[in-house]
Amino acid sequence: MMRAFNAAMIALMLAPIVLVVWMSFTPEAFFRVPLDSFSLRWYREALSYPDFVDAFVLSAKLAALAALMATALSFLAAYGLVRYRLAGRGFLLGFFTSPLVVPAVVFGIAMLQFVNRIGLYNHLVGLLFAHVVVVTPYAIRTLHATLQAVPEEMEWAAMVLGATRLRMLARVTVPLAARGIATAFLFCFLLSFSEVTMTIFMTGPALQTLPVRIYNYLTDRIDPTVAAVSSLVVLVSLCLVFLANLAGAFKRLPR
Amino acid sequence: MSLEIEGLEKHFGDVRAVAGVDLAVGRGEFFTLLGPSGCGKTTILRLIAGIYPADRGRVRLGGVDVTEAPIHARNMALVFQNYALFPHLTVFENVAFGLRMRRLAREEIRRRGREALELVRLGSLAERYPDQLSGGQQQRVSLARALVIRPDLLLLDEPLSNLDARLREEMRGEIRELQRRLGVTTVLVTHDIQEAFAMSDRVAVLEAGRILQTGRPAELYLSPASRFVANFVGPTNEVALAAVRTVAEGTLATTSGGLAIKVAARLETNAGGKAAWLMIRPENLRLFVAEGETDNRYEALVEDVVYLGAATSCRLAIGDLRLTAAVPSTIGARLAPGARVAVGWSAEDGVIGRDG
Amino acid sequence: MERAGWLFVLPLALVLAAGYVWPLMQAGVNSFHPNTPQGIDLGHWTDANYTKLLDPLYQSILERTLRISLIVSAITAVLAYPVAFFIARLKPKVQPWLILVYVSPWLVNTVVKSFGWSLLLRSNGVINTTLQHLGLIDAPLHLMLNETGVIIALVPGHFMFVLLPLWAAASGLDPNLKWAAGTLGAPPWQIFLRVTLPLTLPSLIAGLVINFTMNMTAFAAPAILGGVRARTVSFLAFEVNLEQLNWPLGGAIAVGLLAFTLAVVWGGQRLAFLAVRSGRTRP
Repeated sequence: MMRAFNAAMIALMLAPIVLVVWMSFTPEAFFRVPLDSFSLRWYREALSYPDFVDAFVLSAKLAALAALMATALSFLAAYGLVRYRLAGRGFLLGFFTSPLVVPAVVFGIAMLQFVNRIGLYNHLVGLLFAHVVVVTPYAIRTLHATLQAVPEEMEWAAMVLGATRLRMLARVTVPLAARGIATAFLFCFLLSFSEVTMTIFMTGPALQTLPVRIYNYLTDRIDPTVAAVSSLVVLVSLCLVFLANLAGAFKRLPR
Repeated sequence: MSLEIEGLEKHFGDVRAVAGVDLAVGRGEFFTLLGPSGCGKTTILRLIAGIYPADRGRVRLGGVDVTEAPIHARNMALVFQNYALFPHLTVFENVAFGLRMRRLAREEIRRRGREALELVRLGSLAERYPDQLSGGQQQRVSLARALVIRPDLLLLDEPLSNLDARLREEMRGEIRELQRRLGVTTVLVTHDIQEAFAMSDRVAVLEAGRILQTGRPAELYLSPASRFVANFVGPTNEVALAAVRTVAEGTLATTSGGLAIKVAARLETNAGGKAAWLMIRPENLRLFVAEGETDNRYEALVEDVVYLGAATSCRLAIGDLRLTAAVPSTIGARLAPGARVAVGWSAEDGVIGRDG
Repeated sequence: MERAGWLFVLPLALVLAAGYVWPLMQAGVNSFHPNTPQGIDLGHWTDANYTKLLDPLYQSILERTLRISLIVSAITAVLAYPVAFFIARLKPKVQPWLILVYVSPWLVNTVVKSFGWSLLLRSNGVINTTLQHLGLIDAPLHLMLNETGVIIALVPGHFMFVLLPLWAAASGLDPNLKWAAGTLGAPPWQIFLRVTLPLTLPSLIAGLVINFTMNMTAFAAPAILGGVRARTVSFLAFEVNLEQLNWPLGGAIAVGLLAFTLAVVWGGQRLAFLAVRSGRTRP
């Protein structure tokens, strides 16, 4: 009975996603679950719709940059927190992870008003910084745990053997933390790639990420093109989830 | 190169880990910092290596002050207790690490890396990764990695404590042999007395961040300067003294039980009421001695006999004074609890001192 | 030594100060200025934006949001318990994979998922057409563009925030405790009530706190499945900020929502702490 209940719950979790993917293969111009005939018609439609293609490129670029920045900055910060007895370490760690408890709506409103004020509205930089803030807590937590597991003796050994701190970081610490770094990067990429709420608030018409574009498309008209685009999003996400799982990401999920 | 340390101090928060240490290690000498855990010996090593900055004091290497020198610029090598081999590098790359940091030519790195591995007899394992090696092999790799850079000073931090007893003894000899052959000045940190005695030219005994006594192993064992050193470097019989009197042959000590004991060494009589003590090593107590055969001779009651293989440990009572004697088992076989036996020792075997 | 450490921490601290603390404070400042057709009047200060939040219209939206969030959290708590314990009893090797199945939908963006739900729930959607086809209903059920639709989408949407901590607590539970209780004569429901529940309560509360705040501030699901007839606070915030362009009022909404969230998180932590203590001292 428990097994059946679990199966039902999984069905509930996956139902909307599965249905979107299924629906995307319909040959018809309206939403009826295709049972006997399938077509890639709406994928062709989606890929010839420049707004979606642009949005996809923007989302991928944004996610990559945000993940890169968040991972790099968080690596440095986590290293500082783990290796140095800084006054207020606990406070700093709390500060770096605090965007986690700020609702995306709240941060979205704040960013909307902020980027307008400093003239970064409709500008990638504003969007990038916002995404870095949103994904940083995950990077910090992952990398903090990762670096705590790197024995300090390894670093000392490298430096006694003549490595400066920078060369030691590049040759010893980074390779030893590679798994955690990959995890943090993939996680940040995924989170940025799927971020909707904050982005929808702050983004201008010229810079619509894919989820925002899909949302706007849905409020405008509705045809299976959007299902095809969504399926591509799901595909990308699932590939990255798979990669992240290979890197051991889900063993370190923030709980 | 020679190493001199002067007034070295280090605090961690409120804890005084190193409380003013001076020492001098000669060129090519094998010097050991010996002490119980928490005595600050590892901290001293890390201060020498530059891992921690010193709060106070100087470190000089070959006459050059390196106290402020960055860790990577000291040309020292440190072998860690857990070896700290880089798990993502092969054995060869581990050994070559220091050479690469010195930006040597590729050819030279290969040659010296190979040589270092041959030195520790691991030439065939160059392409393995550390986790594919046994503990002893890992130990050798870390040694090769340290020696390959031709360090001015070799620092060993409890390098043998993760090995089993037999391997440990083997590695002791091997390290000592390498050190002599290469003539590298070496500082070893250990809590193992046998290890310290077996390997070192000189040993410093530490407690609570201070050096209590420095000397050759035999000096420490035979003439410890304090009760702590006496007890730390080996089992001993400690006797509290009620009075000491300087006589022509040395000192006449009286125990609280009124027993008079002759000691060859002299002790200052006026020491402001500080308690005097006498110690005798168990193996210096002789049994079945005839009258006049030893400077000190007493009738004792055998209380307990414990067979330990080559030696037998025997607890004796002379009045209310309890002593333990370690005698060859051939003699120990003649003993039984409750028996009376004559015990004696030479005046030279007694060490006296005052708390202080 | 310590100064070098600050060099590592500083870049991130500066980015967060500029891109996180400052914007939030800016919105807070804006919320105390009056709104004019020309924009924010920075020359004057007012608390009108906050008194406006007490308007019955906004109050009813807040009430609806709270109602939806509470219902979703309650349903989630009931559903997550059996799943967490089911997973915790599986072989250790299988557990992460099953958890992955529950976590991965969270990494697909909420617009796509809400769109999927709308395909299921709309009046000519999969559920209604199937039920009608089977002759179980005559007229389509109203499953979306109301609170029901939002709740249906939010329960699976934020399920993992409760499942993860519960699973961790459940797999960390010493099975001996239950056997001990069993040998002492406690029937299964008593074991659950007196042993399992108190020991997992702190984790449940921690999970529910996140779940609840996520429900409160969800955007895509209420927007797509609730629509204007079931507007929630975040949807209102969207209208005020992006359609009415009333940023001072929008700022007030943000401040209010943030204060509310922090209060819930703080209260939840207190509650979890108390639960740990009472769990320990329970006879």
